[in-house]
Amino acid sequence: MLDEAFEALKTYDWGMDPKVLAPIDQAVVKTHNDPAARKDLESRLLAVLQSQAPRDAKDYVCRQLRTIGTAASVPALEALLAEAELSHMARYALERIPEPQAGQALQRQLSKLSGNLKIGVISSLGVRDQAASAARSVALLRGLLQDPDDAVARAAALALGDIASEGADKALASARPRPALAAVFADASMSCAEKLLAAGHAREAKGTYQRLLKNNPPELVRLAAQRGLKACQPGAL
Amino acid sequence: MDAKRTPPAAQQTTRRQFIKAVGLASAAVALPTFIPATALGRAGAVAPSERIVVGGIGLGNQGHGDFGGFLGSSDVQYVAVCDVRKNVRDGAKREVDERYKSKDCAAYNDFRQLLARDDIDAVHVATPDHWHTIIATEACRHGKDVFCQKPETLTLREGPLMVECARRYARVFSGGSQRVLEDYRGTVNMCWGGKLGRVLSINVQTSNLSHACNLPPEPVPEGFDWEMWLGPAPWAPYNAKRCAGDFNTRENAWRAYWDYSGGDITDWGAHHFGGATFAVDVREFQPQEIVYNAPEADKPAYLEFVYPNGIRITHCKPGKANMEVDSNENETRPPKPVPGYKGKGGIIGDFLYCVRTREKPFRDIGFAVNTMSLCHLGTIAYRLERSLKWDAAKLTFPGDMEANRFIDRARRQPWQL
Repeated sequence: MLDEAFEALKTYDWGMDPKVLAPIDQAVVKTHNDPAARKDLESRLLAVLQSQAPRDAKDYVCRQLRTIGTAASVPALEALLAEAELSHMARYALERIPEPQAGQALQRQLSKLSGNLKIGVISSLGVRDQAASAARSVALLRGLLQDPDDAVARAAALALGDIASEGADKALASARPRPALAAVFADASMSCAEKLLAAGHAREAKGTYQRLLKNNPPELVRLAAQRGLKACQPGAL
Repeated sequence: MDAKRTPPAAQQTTRRQFIKAVGLASAAVALPTFIPATALGRAGAVAPSERIVVGGIGLGNQGHGDFGGFLGSSDVQYVAVCDVRKNVRDGAKREVDERYKSKDCAAYNDFRQLLARDDIDAVHVATPDHWHTIIATEACRHGKDVFCQKPETLTLREGPLMVECARRYARVFSGGSQRVLEDYRGTVNMCWGGKLGRVLSINVQTSNLSHACNLPPEPVPEGFDWEMWLGPAPWAPYNAKRCAGDFNTRENAWRAYWDYSGGDITDWGAHHFGGATFAVDVREFQPQEIVYNAPEADKPAYLEFVYPNGIRITHCKPGKANMEVDSNENETRPPKPVPGYKGKGGIIGDFLYCVRTREKPFRDIGFAVNTMSLCHLGTIAYRLERSLKWDAAKLTFPGDMEANRFIDRARRQPWQL
């Protein structure tokens, strides 16, 4: 059954009954405690990913690698990040693979991409939020805060707000956003301040809110920062 | 009424300043919230300049029902509609214009244009589920209050982001399950009234999970922005059944498909689990354990959600009916007052009332997210066919790297939360 499903996967395309792939779906679940079987499954999926299989087949492979992919899958997925049709599904897997190699692949590709594909990688770096690689991601994202493409700079700010580390907060503090981006930069800074406050770093959070208030922000940001500042007072939480 | 024909600036500023300045009384952002009950025209007819200015995003099927509720309210000045289907948004615009005898309602394909308008106080959102969090958080960032249809979230990670964004900007944010209060009032009254003694568990029944969609390509109809409909979801070719908005959660409608919905367990689960958490009074919490009971010869698998206080919510437990409560009647419990909607007009009236008073609505987004956590946690347990531990505060399945992969899914560029 599994062999037949992998045979069908080689030519899987929109319009085919997804039930033909059910044995692969089931194998992904059943091999939870069987590393050897998982490794074999991953290898077979990667073979399809690196073949001339249709886009839909590769899309399916990425969905499965999201669940069982390891560092072994990273090179093949990384190679797809620059492909317009498959970049998202490569991230669909890479974003959820816990091994640091997945984050490093996203970091490597960042400088090589532009436009929407770059924005996608930026957002994935923000979501992964791994302590081991967050510092490197923060450094890379910091460099994009002044990107001439507003959409890239916006994405970088939001990703730093997702990471929400002290380093991310400092990166945002050092940026000089263009007027059109001021609100989203402030939003990301407040996300950092909230995480810092929740982690017991009230002094740092307070500094962020005070910085935002100094810059004559829009009313919505001013009120939000004032509320945040109030929450930083001893006993407020 | 469009952006160029808003009410006189002084009147508008008064209302909007109030709405934007007064926060919800959440712990993290507590501000003094004295509300003069007569300050905002709650009594009697509402002057146009004091109406809540509303726009709608996603206006087919359930969205059209919400649209009618808002448009029909004398408290509302409806000014803008947004839908990626031209025929739907044009139809909605016609209805608005007919109501006000004008041609002023703006119609947008892209929700960002609607949210960029400074004159809009509140939005209702009823797109497919994969769009909810992006639109709702962006609305909060633009200072809008939000009424978002259930299921409010598609993934576990989206929930806390919605709550954080709403609290950050002190937005009134209501989820959209009217059934939580209206369908299960009897069970709620029995539990809260103390008649059942100490409540031990309650059962919820829903049917299928969502599944993959691999329908063949069809030509995209004229006036349908397919790329925008897909938005953050994986790219797929247009097929009318893929994006059909009827309420079928099994097949041939978006509610049946994994990329856009969790299926019946999230679609009806948002109602039933919402009612169950309300009845047994755990709306403020999420479970710490999900026990997966494997199927037996003649019995399907079922789940038990275990709360820190020991209460259990079961899902599809064999032999149990929907909303069936187990309790120990020998352990008496004093009755406690049952919360309900504020204002008039059901869940939409409750939301509009809270927009004025800055109180938390009945299905505040915090409660909604906790309800949705049951739907998503249950889905993951069924898919992995095993029990799970859950740490809601850290948004993690402790020590379970595989389950943690299901907490979120990458969004298609350029969409980002």
